Amino acid sequence: MSAGRDRVEATLDRLVDASVLERLQISLAALVFAIIVGAVLVFVSGLIVDCPDPFLSLPGVGGACYNPFEVYWTMITGSFGSLTALGRTLQETTLLLFTGLSVAVAFRAGLFNIGTQGQMILGALGAALTALWLGELVPESLLGALIVIPAGVVVGAVIGGLWGMLPGLMKAYADAHEVITTIMLNFIAMGIAFWLVQNHVGNLESDSVLTHTIPDVAQLSPTIGGTRFSLWALLAALAAAIGIYVLYDRTILGYELRTSGLQEAAAEYGGVNAKRNIVTSMTLSGALGGIAGSIYVLMVQYRWQDGIPPLGFDGIAVSILAGNNPIGVIPAAVLFGAMQSGSVALNLTLGVPPELVEVLRGLIILFIAMPEFFRMIGKRYGYGSDPLATDGGENV
Amino acid sequence: MDRRTFLAAAGTGSLIATAGCAGDDDDGDDSLSVGMIYSTGGLGDESFNDMAHQGIQEAESDFGISFQNAEPDAPADMDEMQRQFAGDDNIDAVVCIGFDHEADLEANAAEFADTSFVLVDAVVEADNVANYLFREHEGSFQVGYLAGLLTGMEYGHGGGATDPDESTVGFVGGEEIALIERFEAGYIAGAQHADADIETPSSYAGSWNDPTTGQEIASSMYDDGADVVYHAAGGTGGGVFEAAQSAGRYAIGVDDDQSRSAAAFSDVIVASMIKRVDTAVYESVEAIVNDEFEGGQINDLGLEEDGVGAIIGQDFEDDLPAEIVDELEASRQAIIDGDIDVPDTLDDL
Repeated sequence: MSAGRDRVEATLDRLVDASVLERLQISLAALVFAIIVGAVLVFVSGLIVDCPDPFLSLPGVGGACYNPFEVYWTMITGSFGSLTALGRTLQETTLLLFTGLSVAVAFRAGLFNIGTQGQMILGALGAALTALWLGELVPESLLGALIVIPAGVVVGAVIGGLWGMLPGLMKAYADAHEVITTIMLNFIAMGIAFWLVQNHVGNLESDSVLTHTIPDVAQLSPTIGGTRFSLWALLAALAAAIGIYVLYDRTILGYELRTSGLQEAAAEYGGVNAKRNIVTSMTLSGALGGIAGSIYVLMVQYRWQDGIPPLGFDGIAVSILAGNNPIGVIPAAVLFGAMQSGSVALNLTLGVPPELVEVLRGLIILFIAMPEFFRMIGKRYGYGSDPLATDGGENV
Repeated sequence: MDRRTFLAAAGTGSLIATAGCAGDDDDGDDSLSVGMIYSTGGLGDESFNDMAHQGIQEAESDFGISFQNAEPDAPADMDEMQRQFAGDDNIDAVVCIGFDHEADLEANAAEFADTSFVLVDAVVEADNVANYLFREHEGSFQVGYLAGLLTGMEYGHGGGATDPDESTVGFVGGEEIALIERFEAGYIAGAQHADADIETPSSYAGSWNDPTTGQEIASSMYDDGADVVYHAAGGTGGGVFEAAQSAGRYAIGVDDDQSRSAAAFSDVIVASMIKRVDTAVYESVEAIVNDEFEGGQINDLGLEEDGVGAIIGQDFEDDLPAEIVDELEASRQAIIDGDIDVPDTLDDL
């Protein structure tokens, strides 16, 4: 019993102490394992379903419908195989960068923001309404676009920020746990947006719950023809990642933000207004979520419609995978973006049901994120050689 | 593997060839290929989407066409799927199932003018889009009338029985939108046609694939004395059937003959409001195969065209009292003749 416990503790120690290179190796090994397990799963589920022409017939078992190699190959070509596929991947990457950063910013301050989805939904609606309103007023030119697009992003950021500020205030001044409040505020955000669009600000003639399409001048024009990807949005997302890295790791404010969430009492003792900093962190996190929503409307969907994809929740996985490091969010977002666009291709070309594609994605996330997750837990409880309180949540 | 290789080769071929033949349906001996995009309820809903799937499968065996399925997780995926299919040289026609496709198809039909589109449950006015609408309120009137007649009498068969003391029939909708309001309005009008004082509680689950909420709503309706509950809620309706079985009361299915498609509940599904999505898909493909595709048209299908109707559940076919069956036939004829005016909004009730 205690030998087992020692083993677990030793493993946690090792995980926490792992260097960047070691962690990269762990992640790659996990990826390989996930692919192998996924391949077995794909093959077995192909035995269960019926299809007209199985790629392989096993006597006594039946025909195998899904070829694992073909499935993975389709995923890769579907995400990087052509210019349009690449555009689709980068489109997802851009959005996941913002939601991933949103979650990471809160995490760095020791706060678990599950509310990015709600912040994104409201930010998206704010951006859509701004674009619809301003788009009518500005000239149809580059100048007009330069006014209306930033305006949409700013409005989205402000609304998302305010929605993120709420749980921050509740955490700082009423001691309400942010996990609970942010989850609940997601539902409220969805309800408010749905009700507003269905009854007041949306296209009331349509059976779907959606707003009118934003004018051309407000749409971020695609960099790659036939896709909905704008290089400008990606560059802005990368700049945001670097900016947040600098803010949190190189400035005094960043240091205060981190310590306030992690060790409120200690921060207060050190002369930092911890409560205000908790609110600031959550507001910043919410603003990033709101920007994700704005970009979604201005670059991808050109309107607000009920059923915005769960980019905010995917952002949690992106952030954990990146060890909550703003720079690490970049490759994590690329991986998730590729899996997302690859799974669309898989559904379209091979007819693999979307549920099975979800399982494949889930496996990859699970295998890669788990060591990282255990490492964070281990760190939280003081395993490894550097104690928690002094590092301010730094991971690198 | 063979098919994939062939497709890849065909794709490369058309890239090398001039763009002149892109969109030409009969280049070479290649048969028609259809891209099917379903609604968010997805395949396996034993209802709306499965009906469409049935239609394309029948077309496949009758006309030797081929098809590919795409199931969007959310309305947000529909745009990408439409664009992928429309931009694919191997796909000649794209069939969009469900009203959520409307906004995206408006833009994409204009962009991909060479592709033929079919849209079910909404209208996009474009030369390359054939639209199919159903007068669901007429079919819903029929099942509402049946429910009204049943709750007014003492009836027991299969897995349920009516409560003679109560005169209540319920309605469970998916999302609260104008389309589903047509079902609700027709149903209530039908129930009131049987008995003007009947109680008709109705509620919306807010989702097409949330059977748990469907079950909760229906259970509380049965607890309050409802003898029959009708659902127009896609996959959410599965919960209504569960609730009917555990309450020992009756339910009415939608879109497909659900006493067959959801046969596990055939002992409580007294009838279904059938909506011939399969026929719409089949006929639209037939028209394309025969080069008779007419873009821009709106096919409006009601009781008269057999596009909608009440179909008695398989366990109840031989058991329902003859006078009910006769009454239903009479009201069907009266609606077709225009003697009964079925409301399509709650305001017109």
